[in-house]
Amino acid sequence: MMRIENISAQYQTITGPVVSVKDVNFTINDDEIFGIAGESGCGKSTLLKVLYDVIQFPLEIANGRVVLDYTDRSGQRRTLHSGEIKRAWWDAISYVPQAAMSVLNPVYRIDEQFYELFRRHRKGEGEKAMRDRVVQYLGELDLPVDILKSYPHQLSGGMRQRVVIAMATFLQPNMIFADEPTTALDVVVQKSILMMLMELQSRMHNTLVIVSHDMGVHYQITNRMGIMYSGSLMELGNTEDIFSNPLHPYTQMLIGALPKVGDKSTREGIPGGPPSLRNPPPGCRFAPRCKKACPECSQSVPKFVEVAPGRFAACHLLGK
Amino acid sequence: MRLTKFILSRIMVWLLTILVGITVVFFLQRMMPSDPIETMISKMTSMGTNLSPEALEAMRESLRRQYGLEGTLFEQYLSTITRLVHFDFGLSMANYPTPVAQMIGQALPYTVCLLMTTTILSWIIGNAIGLLAGFKKNKWYSKTLETVSMCIYPTPYFMVALVIMILMAYVKQWFPLVPSFDDFTFTWAWFSDAVYNSFMPALSLMLVGTGWWIISMKALSSNVAEEEYVNYGRMKGLTEATIGYRYVFRNSILSQVTALALHIGGAFGGSLMCEIIFGYPGVGQMVNTAINNSDYNLLTGVIFISIFAVATATLLIDLIYPLIDPRIRNS
Repeated sequence: MMRIENISAQYQTITGPVVSVKDVNFTINDDEIFGIAGESGCGKSTLLKVLYDVIQFPLEIANGRVVLDYTDRSGQRRTLHSGEIKRAWWDAISYVPQAAMSVLNPVYRIDEQFYELFRRHRKGEGEKAMRDRVVQYLGELDLPVDILKSYPHQLSGGMRQRVVIAMATFLQPNMIFADEPTTALDVVVQKSILMMLMELQSRMHNTLVIVSHDMGVHYQITNRMGIMYSGSLMELGNTEDIFSNPLHPYTQMLIGALPKVGDKSTREGIPGGPPSLRNPPPGCRFAPRCKKACPECSQSVPKFVEVAPGRFAACHLLGK
Repeated sequence: MRLTKFILSRIMVWLLTILVGITVVFFLQRMMPSDPIETMISKMTSMGTNLSPEALEAMRESLRRQYGLEGTLFEQYLSTITRLVHFDFGLSMANYPTPVAQMIGQALPYTVCLLMTTTILSWIIGNAIGLLAGFKKNKWYSKTLETVSMCIYPTPYFMVALVIMILMAYVKQWFPLVPSFDDFTFTWAWFSDAVYNSFMPALSLMLVGTGWWIISMKALSSNVAEEEYVNYGRMKGLTEATIGYRYVFRNSILSQVTALALHIGGAFGGSLMCEIIFGYPGVGQMVNTAINNSDYNLLTGVIFISIFAVATATLLIDLIYPLIDPRIRNS
């Protein structure tokens, strides 16, 4: 389980800090697929970096903390906070990056790259056991075993992405973070990769956190999801509820823009673009583009509150 | 099959390089305004030797034959190639009648040993330091090392050599001013004496060479250190030692091997000045003597051997390269 407590994160720039994640509060439960949706530049990748604890200059945490609660392999409960989560990397939490095309080391065969994880995180389990485990694991994922003897440049983009996912799940971590795992792949490959992720999650009963700008991806695979806009969460709840009954005007417009089978009317987009993070508007950041905005919206920031059990949203209209 | 093709193509390139080298040397000499034989004869007659026209003609004839100047240009070209590939360079004109091959045979081991040792050592040391400086570029020692190498590298070679010479042989007298070597014997005493005598030239070559390797490896490895896969390696929780060796080093050393192949040619040229400054009895020194004495045979021989040595060293590195880069091996 992971609790995100009032996190704000910012990038240091020459002209001062740019806050790209602001006052985010939520909890990711065990054994679920959690989605984070939002348009480009809304801070979803930054949020994921903060959750995975890759805080490198110029990124820094301005406020709040992330708490990771998990049961380790020996059955012991452990609690780690931001800054310590690194210790659980690949053992309890792993990461599937955005640019999976270029994250494999070009000069080693795929099997070597599996072994290197094993040697680091499962010391003393023997070379033979390790080799067998890798072959068996690829078999379970329906991946051809001969890719083990290939170099990354010999594999297709989709295959490389599958290999990265296989590596991230190989040691059976408690949580897996996937940052846009299907971008840059064609639709057919996208589907099979999403199926692979879902299948792995239902087999291992761990937590999968998936970041994507593609609402279709969230609809298909996530159990719960959060909608981000300009660095803050706008809405959070069960994916089905969000799609059937969106509460926040932004979510409503996002879902209204999705194509539906049989519906031939022209889809309506959301006019305008997201505000600059360097100089955000006062009050609700979505107000300038919101059709339902009232005077209050551009004066005070709406609170992110639980409007129904397990359902959160940040909008002034909901209290009325 | 692809491997055979690869090796064959490299050998073809090697042969072609040597052939082009020979051709250039051959025509360059023919383009010189002076006729070496007339120069020799006029030198002799001006010294007061009185010879009958018949004797002069016979001498001209025999000299022509000896220096391969008989027949048409094409015949001369063919015979030059045939002689050179048999390592037959004729007799030295300055040290008549010592065969050039024998002179080169004496000098070449000194140059090859000096160059091999210094090139390989400075490549290893420079890359090790450069890797450290590039991989841990924010550490104080990396910055210090880089600054030091930045200062040494652009200094002209002869300055470095002269400073070493003045400090170590004149001010401190740690090493002999002019190296001297006994006849070769396979004993520990001979080797330690040889190392002692060639220490200063070796040090000067290494200082300049290492500086370059540090700078280039630093640039390469700091670029590689920012690649996605290195970053991802860290996110896999791998140790810094693993990242340093398997990710950064293995991926940046590839270009350094190529650079080494290119560097060998330059190193051969660099040894010329080194040997002249330190009076080291190698091929470079011999080139100097040959030019001063207009010893064309010796010059041709030395140039041919240089081309041959550089081309062969490059060929060897080319053939080793696929062993370390899988992308070349498979394509």
